Amino acid sequence: MAKPALTSEMKKGSAELLILALLEDGQRHGYEIAQQIERRSRGAISFHVASLYPMLYRLEARGLIEGRWVEKAGQRRRRYYRLTAEGAEVLAAQRSLWQEFFTGINRVARLRPT
Amino acid sequence: MTTPDWRALVRGALNQITNDPAHDEDIVEELSQHLAQRFEDYLGQGYARDHALELAVAELREEPALAQSIRESARPKPQALEPPPLGGLPSMWNDFVQDLRYGTRVLMRSRGFALAAILTLSIGIGATTAIFSVVNGVLLRPVPFEDVDRLAMVWETDRNTGTNREPASLPDFMDMKERSRQFAGFAAFAPIERTLTPIDGEPTRLPVVVATHELLPLLGIRPSQGRTFTADEDKPGGPELALISDRLWERQFQRAPDIVGRTIRLNDIETTIIGVVSAESDFGAMQILRSAAYGRGFADRDLRSRVDVWVPLRGDPQVLVRDTHPLFVLGRLADGATFASGQNELTRIMADLEAAYPSNVARGAFVEPISDVIFSRVRGTLWVLLAAVGFVLLIACANVANLLLARGTSRLREVAVRTAMGAPLRRLVRQFAAENLVLTAVSTVMGVAIAVVALRMLVGFAPADIPRITETRIDVLVLGVATGLAILTGLVFGMVPAIQARRVDLQGALKADDSRGATAGRERHLLRSTLVISEVALAVVLLVGAGLLVKSAWRLAQVDTGFRAENVVKAEFQLPASRYRNSSEQWPNFVSVHRFNDDLLNRIAGTPGVSAAAIVGNHPVDPGSQNSWRVVGREAEGQNWPEVSIRRVSASYFTTVQLDVRSGRAFEDRDGPSDPAVSIINETLARRFFDAREPIGQQIRLWGTARTIVGVVKDERINGLSREAPPAIYLPYRQAPSFNGAEALLVRTTAPTSTVGPSLRAAVRQIDPQLAVFGVKPLAEAVGESIAQQRFVMLLLIAFAGVAVILAAIGIHGILSYTVAQRRHELGIRVALGATPERVTGLVLGQGAKLTAAGLAIGVVAALALTRVLSSQLYGVSATDLTAFAAVLPVLGAVGLLATWLPARRAVRLDPLDAMRD
Repeated sequence: MAKPALTSEMKKGSAELLILALLEDGQRHGYEIAQQIERRSRGAISFHVASLYPMLYRLEARGLIEGRWVEKAGQRRRRYYRLTAEGAEVLAAQRSLWQEFFTGINRVARLRPT
Repeated sequence: MTTPDWRALVRGALNQITNDPAHDEDIVEELSQHLAQRFEDYLGQGYARDHALELAVAELREEPALAQSIRESARPKPQALEPPPLGGLPSMWNDFVQDLRYGTRVLMRSRGFALAAILTLSIGIGATTAIFSVVNGVLLRPVPFEDVDRLAMVWETDRNTGTNREPASLPDFMDMKERSRQFAGFAAFAPIERTLTPIDGEPTRLPVVVATHELLPLLGIRPSQGRTFTADEDKPGGPELALISDRLWERQFQRAPDIVGRTIRLNDIETTIIGVVSAESDFGAMQILRSAAYGRGFADRDLRSRVDVWVPLRGDPQVLVRDTHPLFVLGRLADGATFASGQNELTRIMADLEAAYPSNVARGAFVEPISDVIFSRVRGTLWVLLAAVGFVLLIACANVANLLLARGTSRLREVAVRTAMGAPLRRLVRQFAAENLVLTAVSTVMGVAIAVVALRMLVGFAPADIPRITETRIDVLVLGVATGLAILTGLVFGMVPAIQARRVDLQGALKADDSRGATAGRERHLLRSTLVISEVALAVVLLVGAGLLVKSAWRLAQVDTGFRAENVVKAEFQLPASRYRNSSEQWPNFVSVHRFNDDLLNRIAGTPGVSAAAIVGNHPVDPGSQNSWRVVGREAEGQNWPEVSIRRVSASYFTTVQLDVRSGRAFEDRDGPSDPAVSIINETLARRFFDAREPIGQQIRLWGTARTIVGVVKDERINGLSREAPPAIYLPYRQAPSFNGAEALLVRTTAPTSTVGPSLRAAVRQIDPQLAVFGVKPLAEAVGESIAQQRFVMLLLIAFAGVAVILAAIGIHGILSYTVAQRRHELGIRVALGATPERVTGLVLGQGAKLTAAGLAIGVVAALALTRVLSSQLYGVSATDLTAFAAVLPVLGAVGLLATWLPARRAVRLDPLDAMRD
């Protein structure tokens, strides 16, 4: 039987966590974020332009991430995002929340942790 | 490998995002970078180019309202719940408003285009509205007479002189009234002037209509106060009564409510006011009077006269005998009668009169519909002007259409992207419509402003004898029509890109350069070329018309008037009978009149700057009256001779106006009232009636006296510049003073003519403080007024032609710029392959030349067919005059060249590598 695709609701719910987590390591630009999500989830989760950027702007408006234009030598300027202090706090909170949620689901539906 | 234009794609998909264009740009940049990288990745993974493109583009489509969600994400979360969007009217309105706002922003981005389109359209709308308002106000508006289509002018004709618009005699009028069955009624009037002496203030000279009691009822004019004259009051010896106009009531009496019964002083006689009529009641009077061969009275003195007083004729057939013709007769057709049947009957009646009375020899009748009399002089002119301005409007619309087409092409990409994004055609059409609506709305507002100003200028410069010209207003109907046309143009040509978008493929549209060789492009190009060629053709027609009128005006200016009007000032007055007794037995020994004149001339001669002065019965541009005459010894021959113009002049006249005396002598002081009667004739009279014979020494019998011819003078164009000088006899003023005391003073002065007026009035006032002096103006101005209408039309047509040429030039320039941009790739290759700048320029110029030549050819053919419409305005020039046509060629050629030059330069400056890379 074919695997059902991840629904948009599920993606929306986890987007915040994924983005904030990726920025923990350092600043990245939008495409990089999308690429990393795809790669690390081994294709299970992918964000398109139309869903990624609104999310990024929303996070930026809430002050959880900070975006700025950076011009590297010989390249066009690109917009890089980094985690703010507040963002780090929210990330930590989200992590524990999802951990709890996942543990609860696991107990009921018997998922196997990867 | 051409890179797709991601930014355009994103922009197209997102529309307007935030209110900050800079912020929008950032977002567009970020997203397009993402897409570009995605695209590269796909290529790197081995996807085919098309597939990769599709996939990348598809990413944008995931989120249905991307712009909306971005916008929301930038805003802090709202506290209250937002109401869900409703269908129906409120959201339709919101969409409409948003479309309008979007349209405005788009237009602001392409300021050059918007400016050109708005300017063009508003000029077109404004000019058309102004002219049509005049046409409507003058011609099309209903006339203040009742049932004007049943009203006729009844002229008398003279077979001997060939004139067919002469006033009638009183006995003839009475006979017509009695004998006619085809006419339900007749009325008659004549123009006179009276001095109005107000209780306080300067006496003024008023044009007055003296009329039979039937006149106002015949016309259907009812007084707003009081009543009209009764038949009894219209009899000889009747009371001194008057009807006054609204205007006079306001000016002299401040609309006093007890006006009926009050009196005014006309020529020193107390006259009782019996009623007030509306200011429009003199409608057509000027035009009727000016159509007549003579007897025009105040219509010749001042073109802008308005009649403010009507008095009863009280005609006495013993005084106004059958061979005096002062009356202008109107008739109202009886039920069932036609103009033809009326004409036949009156011809018969006049024939009967001719058989019965020797004074009616060769006299007939001519029945003319009154609207022809009033409007025929201006009808032609106004329709010509309307057609001309219609051309200008067409050119303006064509130009705007061209601009829109060009713009449509450059926005094709945007349209294609949005269609690919899933935007329904309906929405695109709506948005384009909104854009064009904004354009049209702004143009209309500006157009109205232009129309208001233009109308004011038109009315100010218009010849005064255009009926009702001062009462024209901006016509809402016309504005609506002109605007409708503009909207239609905008919609039709603005929609073209939206409609053609369906046929364009996404790939082709996304490439940075445009549909190379796409059939849609060729069609559009053909359409645009056609538009430009028609613009040029229309401009040619207008130019030819203007050229013909200019030549005509030049010819008129060359006309030798005979007299020299420069530095001469005229002033007019009428010596009233109450103070200057002038009974017919004493004529020509009007002692008080001569004393006044001598006194006045002496005083004027003493004024500094005056080199000569004269007293005349009629100034040189006043045609005056005509009379029958005989040469003593050739009376029988003279039976069939026409009447000639009589000029009564003081001795100093010839030096004052510098009229050349060809042979013999001028008048001198020794030609007084009791001296031998003398006369002078002009060259035309000498040529026509004396032929080879020597006129000097011959005698002319005029007004019962034999007058010896003592000189022959050069012809004067007393009937206006455009009419040949009539045969004329000059009499010394002292031997032939005016019967009614009307005189003119002519002064040649070295001082500026505008300062002489006060000194003239002062001199007159010193002798007779109660005398009203009027018509004080430089003689040259009076001369100018005789060609005012031709000059008016010429100036307007020049203006229209100028505008048309500029618009056509813009059109040529536009299409060539576009073509150069289109052919960048091809031109780049040519240059890279070794084409010289001259060749490249040649290519562009060649295209420009082809367009211009085609337009010229069509325009010339059209002009040949159309300019005959102008014939009535032309003097000394035929409607197919070759020089006018020939002059247009270099003008338009130069303009075409100039318009082509800029795009050609741009073509030459192309960097071939840059061009080819596209």
